[in-house]
Amino acid sequence: MRGMAALIIKDWRLIIRNRLLLVVLVIYPFLIMGVIGAAFGDAGRPVPIALVNMDGADTGEAAWTGIETDEAQGLQRRFRRRGGSVREYEGMEEAMAAMAVGEVNVLLASADTDGTAAWLGAELSRDEIDAIEQDLRGEADAWHEFSTAEEAAASLEEGRSDVLFAVWEEDYPYIAETIWLEGENHDASALVQRFGRDVTEIREYASERLARDDLKRGRVDAVIVLPRGFVHALKTLDEVAVLNVIIDQSNLVKAEFAETSIRGFTSRIKDGVVRNKTEAVVAGLYVLVSGGDFFGTEVTGLEQIRENLLDLKEATGDRPDMQGKVDVGIELAETVIADIEDAAAYLRGTALPIELEVSSVAGRVLSAKDAVVPSLIALSILWTGVLCGAILMVIEDEEGMRVRLGLTEMGAFSLVGSKLLLATAVVFAQSAVMLALAVAVFGVFASNALLALVIIAAASFSCIGIGLVIAAFARQVAGAVVLSVLVSFPLIFMTGAVFPLSQMPGFMQWIARAIPLTYAIEALSGVMLRGEALADVAWQTGALLAFGAGLLALGSFLVRRRSV
Amino acid sequence: MIAVRGLSKEFDGVKALRSVDLEVARGEAFGLIGPNGAGKTTLIRILTGQTPPSSGEVLFDGEEIDPLQPGYRLRIGLVPQEPAFYGRLTARENLALLARLYGIDRQSASGRVEWLLSWAGLEEHADRQARHYSRGMQQRLSLAMGLVHRPDIIYLDEPTSGLDPEARVSLWGLIDLLAGEGRSIFLTTHDMEEADRICDRLAILVEGSVRERGTPQHIKGLLGADRVEMRLPAGSEGELEAVCGRLGLSWRREGEIVTVTGPELPDKLPEIVSTLAGRVSDLHYREVTLEDAFLRFMRGVD
Repeated sequence: MRGMAALIIKDWRLIIRNRLLLVVLVIYPFLIMGVIGAAFGDAGRPVPIALVNMDGADTGEAAWTGIETDEAQGLQRRFRRRGGSVREYEGMEEAMAAMAVGEVNVLLASADTDGTAAWLGAELSRDEIDAIEQDLRGEADAWHEFSTAEEAAASLEEGRSDVLFAVWEEDYPYIAETIWLEGENHDASALVQRFGRDVTEIREYASERLARDDLKRGRVDAVIVLPRGFVHALKTLDEVAVLNVIIDQSNLVKAEFAETSIRGFTSRIKDGVVRNKTEAVVAGLYVLVSGGDFFGTEVTGLEQIRENLLDLKEATGDRPDMQGKVDVGIELAETVIADIEDAAAYLRGTALPIELEVSSVAGRVLSAKDAVVPSLIALSILWTGVLCGAILMVIEDEEGMRVRLGLTEMGAFSLVGSKLLLATAVVFAQSAVMLALAVAVFGVFASNALLALVIIAAASFSCIGIGLVIAAFARQVAGAVVLSVLVSFPLIFMTGAVFPLSQMPGFMQWIARAIPLTYAIEALSGVMLRGEALADVAWQTGALLAFGAGLLALGSFLVRRRSV
Repeated sequence: MIAVRGLSKEFDGVKALRSVDLEVARGEAFGLIGPNGAGKTTLIRILTGQTPPSSGEVLFDGEEIDPLQPGYRLRIGLVPQEPAFYGRLTARENLALLARLYGIDRQSASGRVEWLLSWAGLEEHADRQARHYSRGMQQRLSLAMGLVHRPDIIYLDEPTSGLDPEARVSLWGLIDLLAGEGRSIFLTTHDMEEADRICDRLAILVEGSVRERGTPQHIKGLLGADRVEMRLPAGSEGELEAVCGRLGLSWRREGEIVTVTGPELPDKLPEIVSTLAGRVSDLHYREVTLEDAFLRFMRGVD
């Protein structure tokens, strides 16, 4: 090992005097950490969701009619002449907004002379509306009714209708009802806001079209449309309350995240409703037993009936024939009371038979930021270890020094040993600083940071070994860098750092098992996130050391063989 | 000092060296010349322990040695064809590193480094990173690095290749100093002027075999001596014959041109000219260079 210190000092000087090496080997992993840290720094923030509340506080809805006619211009002129209350709007959106706030209760749209659509609105009485409808029917060649504004607008745009007519109908039943849940009264919008606030950021939109536009632009991750009568259906359970969810599957991860979040909080709403209903039914059943108000009707309870029958039995003690009949009644009352109590207990137990109680093996809830740090450190070890091992060895060839060094008195393993020691020191220091920064600055959870340092040291040997093997196939630093990237890039995707190992096909899992980084990620996750001790990760640590020894031996052999 | 006996080297069925025999005496400057691919670098690689021979032996001071063993490698120095040093280290750092790796203690190493910096004329630039040096300075540093451990023999593999004339002459000066110290020099080169100037003895290596060896004069002499060509009218042959006979020279005529050859011709030329006073015109002295000899030798081989 003679001369090793001199070689290490020399290599360190070469690194710090070479801006490219300094960036690639020392600074770049921190830059990557910064970028990924920034990306995950806000991970776990609420998913932005657009909410279109058709069951909102509005007291009505527009009924849309489209007609085909050659008299569109004449109808428009006649509409304008109906008084000073006629207003013009830039487009359907503005017109709909005016109608929603009660500015107008009638809209008429037709293609203008210049081909654009003219949107007119007015506040009219029922008689005036009937008169206009009569006028329209008189000029109509064909008559269409639409269930949504979008359908109507599309009909006008595509020329299937020449005139659109909308009337604000205030006769929709069950609108904006409220439901009592978890101690508060909620309308549809408040219900979603209340139960979704932990995992979503709800943004309300006036129309589905606007919400869809923002979904396409990526401003929200999903759109929830609460249909009319949503809360009513939820309250009465007469029909299934349907929640329309629109997701953008062009980004599967985002879509999956949004859908899972929505399913999570709607499940809580559903559970609350079922629990309320169950309690109400159970309460009703107990009223049958004890007597009182049974859903609006005053009833005599079964217990009272039994008492009455017992009194009757006592009063008719001298009538054996009556005694038998009264006994049947008493027995029936007692049986029914017992059955009702059983039924109530059964109902409580079966209405919500499963409840998830989720807890973290780490003993605390982990954020995405916590979970990404072990992989990030492992990837940094791979990057710096492989490149450091490869570059430091190839520098000797690039500078033409391999032969000169071979003629000196340095020890047989001094060259490889010096590279190993310096690269390990660089990787270790870098990872330790990264870990310290993650914990101290970013507040990342690391259960057993000291043990993580042991794993880092073990992992660095393997990665430096890979670098030495690469060095045997490169003559210049640039070539070593390219080869290192070519080798490292696929490894990142095969180790569970990006995609869970358990979800990979069997043969890929076997390949992953042949990659030291897989064990580094497992062991680092174990000690940092699950609080495992050295004994728990002994297998992975042993595998890392074995890989390290094997790869270093192979790398040394290849490098020495090439120099002869 | 170094003797090579029957040295052969074969790579993948190709014979790079064929039973080479050479000797380099202590303090001798020995040159190996030959065309590209002749096997010069392979021979240096074997002698410096970079690759083992396929067969044959290397004797050092009469004892057979394994060039791959450290004991031998400590007694040799190497200056590769391309300057070999760490470009981002200074000359002082490069030399100090090698001194440490050769096991020289820190205090002695410091003195040796300063001496080498001065010897190579690099003391003013000793603390600049070597990548900023001129090519000549880089090669001087490379030469100094080969001498850190005071080797008995230094192998120079085409040391002036790619240098400008000034840098080349400067490096020759340093090599002359080495020769003056009694160190053995083993030089491979394409530059016949260099070989002629530096080497005491030469060998011509062609296709892995030594085709000729001897002093530069001997090599040149194999291909003819220096000569004088002059225009001499007919009728002076008697006087020419008499003076040449007296001086031990020979002559021949081709038309009006007479060619005189023989040993120590430059010293004898004034007597010939005075004997034939007034009749000699267009006189040219033709010296046979090593390059002429080498080229003629190569053409002869072809």
